[in-house]
Amino acid sequence: MKRKMREGNRYFTMLHYLLAAVVIFITVYPMYYVLILSLSEPIHAATMKVYIWPKGFNLSAYQVLVSDIKMWRAYANTILYVIPTTILMIVTSTLVAYGLNYRKLVGRKFLTMFLLIPMYFTGGIIPSFLLIVKLGLYDNPLSQILPASFSIWNIILVKAYFRTIPDSLTEAAKMDGAGMYQILTKIFVPLGKPIFAVLAVYTIVGTWNSWFNAMLYLPHTQWQPLQMYLRRILVETNQNASQVMDAAAAMEFARRQLSNAQLKYAMIIFTTLPVLCTYPFFQKYFVKGMVLGSLKE
Amino acid sequence: MGKIRRQRRRRLPRFKGTVKENIQIYMMMLPALALIAVFCYAPMYGLVIAFQDYVPGNPFLGEGVKWVGLRWFEKFISGHYFERLIRNTLVLSGLNLVFGFTMPILFALLLDQIRALKFKKIVQTASYMPYFISTVVVAGMVISFVDTDGLVTNLLTVLGMERQNYHVNPTAFPAIYTITNVWKNFGFGSILYCSIISSIDPGLYEAARLDGANRLQQVLHITLPGLQAVIAIQLILTVGALLAANTELILLLYTPATYDVADVVGTYTYRLGILEGQYSYTTAAGLFTAVIGFCFTFAANRISDRMTGYGLW
Repeated sequence: MKRKMREGNRYFTMLHYLLAAVVIFITVYPMYYVLILSLSEPIHAATMKVYIWPKGFNLSAYQVLVSDIKMWRAYANTILYVIPTTILMIVTSTLVAYGLNYRKLVGRKFLTMFLLIPMYFTGGIIPSFLLIVKLGLYDNPLSQILPASFSIWNIILVKAYFRTIPDSLTEAAKMDGAGMYQILTKIFVPLGKPIFAVLAVYTIVGTWNSWFNAMLYLPHTQWQPLQMYLRRILVETNQNASQVMDAAAAMEFARRQLSNAQLKYAMIIFTTLPVLCTYPFFQKYFVKGMVLGSLKE
Repeated sequence: MGKIRRQRRRRLPRFKGTVKENIQIYMMMLPALALIAVFCYAPMYGLVIAFQDYVPGNPFLGEGVKWVGLRWFEKFISGHYFERLIRNTLVLSGLNLVFGFTMPILFALLLDQIRALKFKKIVQTASYMPYFISTVVVAGMVISFVDTDGLVTNLLTVLGMERQNYHVNPTAFPAIYTITNVWKNFGFGSILYCSIISSIDPGLYEAARLDGANRLQQVLHITLPGLQAVIAIQLILTVGALLAANTELILLLYTPATYDVADVVGTYTYRLGILEGQYSYTTAAGLFTAVIGFCFTFAANRISDRMTGYGLW
């Protein structure tokens, strides 16, 4: 507000506002377009020419969707992966960050190196894949949880946050005879709640949207998460649509494709809406995480 | 003398305490450290198969291992697809460096110019939205939008371009990939720059205004220098990732029709390694790119350190 006085050309100011409005349009409209198409009458949706308001109102695409047992199974799998991953992420990050902040830790230099190296070098997907196979995690839901249950980046984030907790608190607790466990549970955990919220939001969104590890490690649809289900429907059907077929088959295929388009759009809305409706409320946590992370750099 | 003795006497019990505390701390860290050792370090050890003729089920070291030296590296470098893979990787990452890296900065500068706080908040919130949509859904939307009767194709037709399925058009792929990447990440990427801009001392702007600086001059001489450090570091990281194009997005967006311009080392590794089981060969290909990528980071870091005084290490 202080800078309100900064003088400037009126046309430039208008140009800025115009540009910002264009940005809003570009980011929001594609999703909105998907939404109105999914709600329109199938006959209008099939022509894809619905631009401003839904033409007619029809929920049949959603009806087809909610009766799809495979989708619910995939939904359940995702939730099954999100919850333990998030809890483990917070626990592992907190424990290591707490340990690293302990001043008299033996071998801290070594530990720092131990954490730093994997940030620059990785074994790559093939050795990781072979490891998962060797550990017996291939085709096992644990393959979606264990490798994602820690993050060195998050450890560093929590460590930076714990640094801001004054030493006097720890010292005082020690005077009162608190051990290392008590200091952690009575001081660091209650004071660390904001950073746990940051980790939780990052991890939930990340796990909800992840599919790559599932593609590598889960060959059967039984355990695959929602994003793999979406990939089969949204992406793969298009990749092999160019087969040779006779006219009747082509007509039939085209008709199915047309109604499929609406189904796809309904599916996008149905699986993305939970995240899109909640992220504005968690925004501040994302911003906080970014700022803390940059301080660390 | 007396002073020293007193210190020594005090240190002894303290040291005893730290041994116990150290053990407790290590007990707490152990599970997480074990996970890191298994899931980060074991795959690094697994890289030895790049120098072997690895047969699935065999141990990485010990009996039955056939060492082949650099054979797989030679095969990769002299291979039919090497040039294409490197070219595609560099082109797609280069486009991302030009647009994906600069857009968040430009957007942050634009936001800074907007004084109406409510409107600014709305713009910001809207700009984060694509980041929260999963890559799979974004790819699905893009594929349907650039199809023969899709939203983007309709728009392009109105603008006088030929109606076609751009998804299978090789010349369109780099643009589709870059725009998707930028669309998804520019808003979220700008958070960092916005937070730095808001921490710049407002007094600097006031002083500049008294000296008669206009808005553009203020941006050039105050905002941008304030961002210099974070821009340098982001640039190093982007350059370091030049050889690691966004494999996930490419894997979702490409089709056999566009392999010629879309296939990168990551996707090639996936197809030959995971789908066809050529483990040793693809591990060598991955290792080769990772090493070159690390050299890029190192060089970028050096250059940035020389020119701006900012670096990762």
